[in-house]
Amino acid sequence: MKEVGYKFDVIVVGAGPAGSAAAYTLAKKGFKVLLVERGRVPGSKNVFGGRVYADPVGEVFDGLDGAPIHRWVTRERISLVSGGEMSSFEFRGSKRTSFTTYLTELAGWMARKVEEAGGVVLTEITVDGLVVEGGRVTGIRVGDERLTSDVVIDAEGINRLLLERAGLVPKLSVRHTGLGVKEVIKLQRDRLEDLFGLEGDEGMAWLMLGDVTDGLPGGAFLYTNRDSVSLGLVIALGDAVKEVGRHVSRYVEALRLHPLLRRYLRDGRIMEYSAHLVPEYTWPDLPHLLYTDGLLVAGDAAGLLLNLGYNFRGVDFAAYSGYLAARAVERAHEMGGMTSENLAIYRDLLEESFVLRQLRKFRRAPRMRENRRLYGAYPGLVNAIMDQLFNSPYETPKVMEALRRAREGRIGWLEMVRDLLEMVRSV
Amino acid sequence: MMKPMRVDDILNNNVWDVDYEPHIRVDSSKCRECDEKPCLLLCPAQCYTLAGEEVLFSYEGCVECGTCRLVCPNDAVTWNYPVSGRGIHFRFS
Ligand SMILES: Cc1cc2nc3c(=O)[nH]c(=O)nc-3n(C[C@H](O)[C@H](O)[C@H](O)COP(=O)(O)OP(=O)(O)OC[C@H]3O[C@@H](n4cnc5c(N)ncnc54)[C@H](O)[C@@H]3O)c2cc1C
Ligand code: SF4
Ligand code: SF4
Repeated sequence: MKEVGYKFDVIVVGAGPAGSAAAYTLAKKGFKVLLVERGRVPGSKNVFGGRVYADPVGEVFDGLDGAPIHRWVTRERISLVSGGEMSSFEFRGSKRTSFTTYLTELAGWMARKVEEAGGVVLTEITVDGLVVEGGRVTGIRVGDERLTSDVVIDAEGINRLLLERAGLVPKLSVRHTGLGVKEVIKLQRDRLEDLFGLEGDEGMAWLMLGDVTDGLPGGAFLYTNRDSVSLGLVIALGDAVKEVGRHVSRYVEALRLHPLLRRYLRDGRIMEYSAHLVPEYTWPDLPHLLYTDGLLVAGDAAGLLLNLGYNFRGVDFAAYSGYLAARAVERAHEMGGMTSENLAIYRDLLEESFVLRQLRKFRRAPRMRENRRLYGAYPGLVNAIMDQLFNSPYETPKVMEALRRAREGRIGWLEMVRDLLEMVRSV
Repeated sequence: MMKPMRVDDILNNNVWDVDYEPHIRVDSSKCRECDEKPCLLLCPAQCYTLAGEEVLFSYEGCVECGTCRLVCPNDAVTWNYPVSGRGIHFRFS
């Protein structure tokens, strides 16, 4: 292997939110940082659903000044779908807490910040491996060239090939993974605002549970961007492997043509079709690997994502973990080197931050999401109750009566009580 | 007007810089022995198709999600990212 002469303090693999946050934080502190990205430009390989929580990302990136923000989410809609029926709950506020965007744009912006801060960003380079010498990560391998650094921050995303190849983690399992598929659909800006009842830069996040995933654990989403919507779904891959009933692209197509959705999308035009995996670890398995001698792992590569079923937090968790990885490097530097002992501070920082506090708090959520009744029985139940309450002109039932009738053949009382308790405990 | 669309037509909206060499290789002898063939329905870009009994793989439309690597029960898929900036180029995701 050829040794490339120049030595960096830190090499970061992957210019997603995690990698750029780490590289930016370290470059600002004067470390010699190299950020390596396989895409032609940063952002060109990144996919997400549509919404970012602003504060955690702003804390890392100067209050998001100049960031590509499409719309501020002031409308939250959650719908239970069964057949041609849907019951929705909608919250409308005015706080600007989260925004919609394209991750391709946001990641591009983040990487530009890295360059502005003096970091070196190399694109179109697919890293082939980590260099491990005597149990210590000393750099990266690209083809037959080798680049060395004091520490490597691995932010390669969910398909953590480098960690697997180095034998540091087992092969990713379908049981710990969700598959997301989405279409971005162009709409005229004023038409979009009319259809979704939005003013100015207001936006909507819409989550759908029920037979939109054919009863598979998961959910569908619609986010309004500036002049487009992101429409897609995430399904649990472990279940899909056994039970998927049609090609996955057909699930998104069924959404686009759904009797209850198609009026929103009628004049639309598909701009892009994408797919990506999501980590769905359960608590005892999480986090897999956070650090070892000469190495820190951040973002999806470490499985640091919160999925509550009704909300998805990956970008801010990734960016913040990247930021904490950078702070760990700083501290380890002060302590005398990038040993596993010194880098262990990363875990402490994560534990003190919202990242692991939230993941710990919601550790039961993944188990709850496996409950099939959430996607079949309950949406059907709720819609059947609503139907009876509103579509019985002569013999309107009492609520409990409607519940009893709707419940018959769907679900037992005991099961319902148990599920309710589990739900209360989980989320 | 939104109409039903074939996967190929949906994919046509994407941009790729296709590599000369496939970044993913599939051992078709293993596919012959494979009962479930989950790749057929789960590869979002429909890179895996059935021609008679044979599973055909084409890498050109791959969106680099990694699903086939995980769902293949027979380790038939040798999976890698494309080299040097090749492959899918997302703009609005
Ligand atoms: C369908 C879907 C919907 C989602 N919805 C949301 C949402 O609404 N809100 C939210 O906050 N999160 C959401 N997420 C999660 C979010 O996308 C991720 O958690 C986040 O992108 C993780 O950031 P990351 O930096 O860890 O990884 P990534 O964004 O995946 O970045 C990894 C980077 O590393 C590069 N890379 C990988 N390997 C190499 C290599 N060998 N050499 C060089 N470069 C390499 C890649 O090209 C990529 O740029 C969603 C995810 C999916 C799939
Ligand atoms: S799942 Fe694997 S072995 Fe089976 S058909 Fe697909 S690629 Fe071949
Ligand atoms: S990586 Fe994804 S898109 Fe590419 S062939 Fe595999 S499943 Fe299909």
